[in-house]
Amino acid sequence: MSHEAKLRLYNLHLAQARRSVLEGLEGTFASGAVTALIGANGAGKSTLVQALMGELRPLSGKVECHVPKARRAWLPQQLALDLSFPMSVEELVMTGSWPSHGALKGYCAAHYRRGREIMTRLGISTVAHRPLGELSGGQRQRALIGRTLMQEAELLLLDEPFANVDSETVDILIPIIRQMADDGATIIVVLHDMDHLKRLADAVLLLRDGCSHWLAPDGVVAPSHLSTGGRHAGLA
Amino acid sequence: MLDLLNAWLVAPFDYGFMRRAVVGGLALSLAAPPLGVFLVLRGMSLIGDAMAHAILPGVALGFLVAGFSLPMMSLGGVLFGLAVALLAGAVSKMGGQREDAAMASFFIISLAAGVMLISLGGSSVDLTHVLFGSVLAINSTALVLITTISSAIVITLAVIFRALVVECLDPLFLRGQSRRSGWVHSVFLGLLVLNLTAGFQTLGTLMAVGLMMLPATTARFWSKRLEGLMGIAVVLAMLSSTGGLLLSFHLDLPSGPSIILLAGAGYFFSAVCGRYHSLAARWRRKVTPLVHD
Repeated sequence: MSHEAKLRLYNLHLAQARRSVLEGLEGTFASGAVTALIGANGAGKSTLVQALMGELRPLSGKVECHVPKARRAWLPQQLALDLSFPMSVEELVMTGSWPSHGALKGYCAAHYRRGREIMTRLGISTVAHRPLGELSGGQRQRALIGRTLMQEAELLLLDEPFANVDSETVDILIPIIRQMADDGATIIVVLHDMDHLKRLADAVLLLRDGCSHWLAPDGVVAPSHLSTGGRHAGLA
Repeated sequence: MLDLLNAWLVAPFDYGFMRRAVVGGLALSLAAPPLGVFLVLRGMSLIGDAMAHAILPGVALGFLVAGFSLPMMSLGGVLFGLAVALLAGAVSKMGGQREDAAMASFFIISLAAGVMLISLGGSSVDLTHVLFGSVLAINSTALVLITTISSAIVITLAVIFRALVVECLDPLFLRGQSRRSGWVHSVFLGLLVLNLTAGFQTLGTLMAVGLMMLPATTARFWSKRLEGLMGIAVVLAMLSSTGGLLLSFHLDLPSGPSIILLAGAGYFFSAVCGRYHSLAARWRRKVTPLVHD
């Protein structure tokens, strides 16, 4: 896998509400690889994710991103999704075709077929016509991943995608996320669970005391890396 | 029997003013309810009410400048409504105040200013007319204005439909996808103002909201799908505007309140007997069996 890296950090300094959170962040997120972002609660994982998506302006330094905006996908931990809105799973997945279709172009049969293939891969084709509000947490997460597949996302930021999700969903999603990486996407996943990390990550970025540390996945065994995120880390 | 139907449903339209009123009502019924459906779904049901008050000073200014001229009053209303919407948006962005709080402050100021302007320039009869409208006094100019605005609203809504749906569902996703995502909300508010200005002649500034919101809230009792909600709301609005006109003709009632009260009756009926979320739906509690495939 030799892909040009599309996401780089240069001496990044980030602050939330005038309080420094992260300093001196350097690094390259390899394309075609899954990078796990770990750290204790409050270490600045979500802050970094916001900066990567261009939602937070750095105090100094910069995030260099060569992925067009329409091909970036972000599934935040606190979803902005309005679940009472009358929309079905299929309709949600189809909105992922925005980069190619925009606001006006009609969906053609080929796109509907692709949408159905994606839903079958994710095991949600039986709930395709159910409203979003009636789904389980796992089904909802799969539908959202379906939208990013439809979007052909080249940069994918997942903030704790496996929190409050059943193990069947985890088993379906991990190979799909791996496949997206093998197809060349840059994927960054905020994780707490060491088991998920071992199955998914090619590289690990640990945030601690306002600094970043790049690690190899098998280097992350000591629970001390995650000083307070101990519940899952301790199991490793 | 046929004679009775003829006397009740057809004969009133021998009068020109009734024909114009019903066409104006149908045009508004096509444009207003879809906007109402989006307002309800976004939890902004009261914004329509606030906007209706916000256009009042503009209408009053138009009235003071040009007398009882619908185009001038509408123009004033649109300009003032848009200004208030923009100001409310700006204040909420600036001070971190929620948009509805800013809107609430602006609309009450607008209402007071509007009433003040009308009282300074006219008599109390004019005030009643602006506040409560008179569907039976629509002339051809007014009718052209109403139908043009309604058509413009329906066409614009069709163009921004997907963007609007995605923005309601997941604003963050739309922000990532399109640099113009901020426009969607502004265009929507603009359509709202336009619709209320078109409605004020027939129903008055205060009642124009009724034809927008009541069919939309009623439709929630009958459908769970977006297309269904809009279709049902439009049909309900058409039924109540035409029915309300006939009632006001035969029983010698004021037309605006007749239309809105008829829509209101539909709302109460649906709250009791509707398919979803109604009293009847609560009693039914029918469970669909598991489907194995």
